[in-house]
Amino acid sequence: MTDMSRLPTPEQASEAASGSVLSLRGISKHFPIRAGALQRVVGHVRAVDGVSFDIRPGETLGLVGESGCGKTTLGRLASGLLSPTSGGSYFNLDTAALSKLNAAYALPEDARAAALAPLEAAHGIATMPKAAQSRFRRNCQMVFQDSFSSLNPRHLVIDIVGRPLRVHKEASGEALTERVVELLEQVGLGRQHLYRYPHQFSGGQRQRISIARALALDPELIILDEPTSALDVSVQAQILNLLNDLQAERNLAYLFVTHDLSVVEHMADRIVTMYLGRVVEAGPTRTLFDAAAHPYTRALIAAKPDLAVDDPQVAKFAALDGSIPDPARPPRGCHFHTRCPVATPNCGWELDDIVRLLERSEDLFESLSDVSRHSDFAGELAFEDEGSAERLAQALRSDATPASMRSAMESLTVDGRTLRVRFQEVGEVQLSDRGPDHIAACVIKDA
Amino acid sequence: MSISKTDTTGAQTVAPATIASVRGLKVHFRSKAGRVHAVDGVDFDVRDGETLGLVGETGCGKSVTGRAFLRLLPVPPGILAGGSVMFRPQTSCGGCGGEGCAQCGGSGRRPTPCPTCRGQGCPDCQGTGAETLDLLKVSDKQMRGIRGDRIAMIFQDPGKALNPTLTIGEQLGEVFLQHRSVDLLEEAGIDSGESGFQAGALRRLAGQRDRRTDRMAAALWPPLRRRAQSVRQALDNRIAAALGETQIPNPRNIMRSYPHELSGGMRQRVMIAQALACDPDLIIADEPTTALDVTVQARILDLIGQLQAKRGSSVIYISHDLSVVRRICDRVAVMYAGRVVEIGETDQIFNDPRHPYTKGLLAAVPTTRTPRGKLAAIPGSVPELVDPKPSCRFADRCAQVHAACTASDPILSAVNPGHDVACFLEHPTSPKTEAAE
Repeated sequence: MTDMSRLPTPEQASEAASGSVLSLRGISKHFPIRAGALQRVVGHVRAVDGVSFDIRPGETLGLVGESGCGKTTLGRLASGLLSPTSGGSYFNLDTAALSKLNAAYALPEDARAAALAPLEAAHGIATMPKAAQSRFRRNCQMVFQDSFSSLNPRHLVIDIVGRPLRVHKEASGEALTERVVELLEQVGLGRQHLYRYPHQFSGGQRQRISIARALALDPELIILDEPTSALDVSVQAQILNLLNDLQAERNLAYLFVTHDLSVVEHMADRIVTMYLGRVVEAGPTRTLFDAAAHPYTRALIAAKPDLAVDDPQVAKFAALDGSIPDPARPPRGCHFHTRCPVATPNCGWELDDIVRLLERSEDLFESLSDVSRHSDFAGELAFEDEGSAERLAQALRSDATPASMRSAMESLTVDGRTLRVRFQEVGEVQLSDRGPDHIAACVIKDA
Repeated sequence: MSISKTDTTGAQTVAPATIASVRGLKVHFRSKAGRVHAVDGVDFDVRDGETLGLVGETGCGKSVTGRAFLRLLPVPPGILAGGSVMFRPQTSCGGCGGEGCAQCGGSGRRPTPCPTCRGQGCPDCQGTGAETLDLLKVSDKQMRGIRGDRIAMIFQDPGKALNPTLTIGEQLGEVFLQHRSVDLLEEAGIDSGESGFQAGALRRLAGQRDRRTDRMAAALWPPLRRRAQSVRQALDNRIAAALGETQIPNPRNIMRSYPHELSGGMRQRVMIAQALACDPDLIIADEPTTALDVTVQARILDLIGQLQAKRGSSVIYISHDLSVVRRICDRVAVMYAGRVVEIGETDQIFNDPRHPYTKGLLAAVPTTRTPRGKLAAIPGSVPELVDPKPSCRFADRCAQVHAACTASDPILSAVNPGHDVACFLEHPTSPKTEAAE
């Protein structure tokens, strides 16, 4: 994921003249899978795999995707709670620094390090000086999904909300109490709540306490990880209104991680769609909802039940087939091709897709004895008997196999008990420009 | 439940349109702070073959109402304080054998005739001629026969509702062993008239009443083992068919796997297969898609809809998600603080809401039309239901509150045909005169 064609072009970057609060460039987080008595690393789950985007001051960036697509991990990477496997995150870039950063990433890999060095030293979260790091931590706060587990049950509200102030030596004693009261009043609570424990509050009130804690140090960016998914609609509306009021008052930037498209449509200025650890589409909210370029974004939007649709019968459920593939072995080419309704032969069909087909059929999978791969795209499947190999070959040539997969097969021969297959080789699908500030990773260009 | 031909025609003429009716249901819970009135006088009917949505916020008593149908409430601390849940079980239509004919309106089922009057109509069945059971009063044994067979439940979190120590096949098989052991024996070729140890052991094995000696004999004695295996085979066929119906690919493999090996959507499909296994008359779906992604949710809702249309069963769909309820329900009941505040056809509720709470709930859902930061939130939160005062429960959050609201309880009454609201704004008459009428 070194290709940086996904980055905004220089003229687009100048449109957003105010720079960025937080810029992520090619950020990845791979979790090792350990097995055996010695806990050897046998593979990696690519939770986040080469993601780049900017969060501009005062904007709300929505991050959407199904569960398991890496959006929570990305939120934690952005807030610095997790350190990335590779890639960099840069804090508080003005316009000049941002264009320098984009220029550096446009360079070939070997020349990049030198160009990046001054930026890394001043803005890179992992590399900046201690004082700057502490400034970053003050300015980037997080609100978690589950307010039960993110508030210490043995602490009073005054301790929870006052903690950041104490840590950063902002206030103490009487002044601290007054600051906490002020914060609680901003989120719709009051002085009477100071000496209570989290369990004495309802879900909505607890989420307000979380928000008050995030606001304590007057940050520039708050990362909201599904802040309303545990709440009822009426309470959700209260919290969303509160977040909007606070944003207007303090020019806050939000990274809004959620799976609820109605909420993200309501809240976000721009949306980033993720699938299996990668960004598949990013763009302004209205553009994405009116003319999404990636079939996955379209499927997500179509699956969202909308109350505003006047005739619910007209809006038929558009459902996706299958489930998310194993992130430890993501599909080649476009990750989404296994479930895509408009897949083409160039989407990255591979040997694993045959295995996925086999898993659905009752007896063929049982008689599969060996798979030998020459590459991900070519290999041999050995069966216990000739009949099974022949039957699979027939199934692969018939309508049971998607048409695009059939035409992606360059050769398919049965040789006794083995079946030789070769698919056409395709590279990774890169993000490409689709309009102002709108990028998508799909082989179909004019969708 | 065998019935003669004459009974069939008698029951047909007075076929009731409702399959279940809840009247004045009260479920209270004992707590340190006092008696919590979780459900406090709920009335509604479930019509035959419809999907009734039960919506409301957390703690409004919608799940407790659903569970009261199956008496799946912890007693104590729960107290079934009053009211009734009348249920009319159905049998497959005698005229067509479940295929669907003119006599049963194409649904393939019709009400079970009342055992006291043989379908002629008597005080026991309120003159309908259909067997009517009060689910709150039937014996535990009878309740056990109803659970999973006539009324089934789909739970919210399939991760918690499935037993992690049993394979999918083992837990799905229990439904058949409990309710369909006669059919299983018949399919395995074991005659119902047969007697002796072998037949007895097989019957006990097929009904989960097996003793240690039965299991030992089935393991060691070849003739019994063979016949036990054929029962097992019949059971496996049924499980695979039930799983296959919920569009699970390769059901025989899934049967052998444990719940943790399946994805959330798959697990929910297993739950649905389990609920639909015995072709129940009433399915209570308690937020079946809350734990799922939108893309999977769409599939599951589609599946429930298809299966319901095919079988003609009724569904009570409990949810807090108004947009989902709008899509799949025929009628909607809005609950607040243990009461039904508004009930009506889906169109009536969503296009012409009358109760301020329903209006508030609908306005609180973010849609394309609402401008940012302008969501109409309902101030405050759901009240504590400890010993509530006789007043409208919504009074302290309502924007249009007036004197009558705090003085007495509003009663659910009609504003339009089929559309009832409990609000003094719609029914300004004082409740005293209403009670006198």
